[in-house]
Amino acid sequence: MVLLAKAAFGLAGTLVLAGAYAFHEGVIRIDVDEYRSGGSHVHLWVPAAAVPMAMHFVPSKHMRYASEPSREALPVLHAIIKELKKYPDADFVEVVDHDQHVRMRTHEGKLQIDVDARDEKVHVLCPLSTIEDLTTQLEKRGPAA
Amino acid sequence: MSNLMRRMPSRKQVMSNRSRSFFAKSALIATVAIVLSPVGTLAQSTAASASSNQSTTTASKDRWLHVRVLSSDAKGETVRVNVPLELAEKVLPTINKDRIHDGKVKIDNAHVNDVDLRALVEAIRTTKDGEFVTVQSNDCDVRVAKQSNHLIVHVLDKQNSKKSEVEIKVPMKVIDALFSAGKDELDLVAALHALSGQGDTELVSVKDHENTVRVWLDSKNITD
Repeated sequence: MVLLAKAAFGLAGTLVLAGAYAFHEGVIRIDVDEYRSGGSHVHLWVPAAAVPMAMHFVPSKHMRYASEPSREALPVLHAIIKELKKYPDADFVEVVDHDQHVRMRTHEGKLQIDVDARDEKVHVLCPLSTIEDLTTQLEKRGPAA
Repeated sequence: MSNLMRRMPSRKQVMSNRSRSFFAKSALIATVAIVLSPVGTLAQSTAASASSNQSTTTASKDRWLHVRVLSSDAKGETVRVNVPLELAEKVLPTINKDRIHDGKVKIDNAHVNDVDLRALVEAIRTTKDGEFVTVQSNDCDVRVAKQSNHLIVHVLDKQNSKKSEVEIKVPMKVIDALFSAGKDELDLVAALHALSGQGDTELVSVKDHENTVRVWLDSKNITD
């Protein structure tokens, strides 16, 4: 009985610690709602720390394949994210008209992209450190590496 | 012997004591871990907040380039872009595409109609303040002048029934920096660096009956 309790306690402790670690960088949140017939509704919450970790297990050939189309953009993206981390919360781009509202901003160390249009809503929230990790890994394991 | 047996704890008792001790230690460690994990997260967020606060403090030194387009047409579009100059300075050299390389953009003679831009800039730089070009016609008014170390271009288009007006005001230091690269090249990074040394200033202003465009420089990270 004591052994079972110990095991349960150990498992619970491990789960709590793993959960705390997984969420310590926050979450990547993607919400897509298309308001038309057959439109998709995607709501995705992923622990931010899990993504760069999971990428270590992706075979190199797939990583090379994935990074090939974005090869030219990766250094630029990496430089932008690295610099964005230094700045306080700010709205970088905002476009408003009668049909839509597009906004790209940083908020509490996260990149936030919001598109509110009549027929669709897209909200993306991703920690800057996660994007930096991703771009670093893609650059390292890309075709040029 | 019986006394010795009495003094020595039984095997069951020893295991029980060990289990209790182990359980107590595990509980203590787990509790500390559980208690500290939010503290760790809090510490991180506090650190992030502190870093953010620090950034806000340093932001006063940062120079931001703002672009605002207001359209009064049917769509009523508003575009606001805020870019820290330092970010642009760091990012531009990473772009290597077409004519842009290492923060410089190549220009060919075909685009400047055989005008020696460098000599022109040098001539303007060494000239005293004054008006270089003044055109006044029924269609438009054009004025190019140097004033307080700024190159000013003012165009008033009177062709349409509704007038449009363009005003560009660029510090001479920025123009110098722009042409500081090799031949047939414009050094964008150097120009941005020179721009960051300038005070709050409006660089471009375009007004017509439908659109208002403003490009200006200040230390705020928000658009007014």
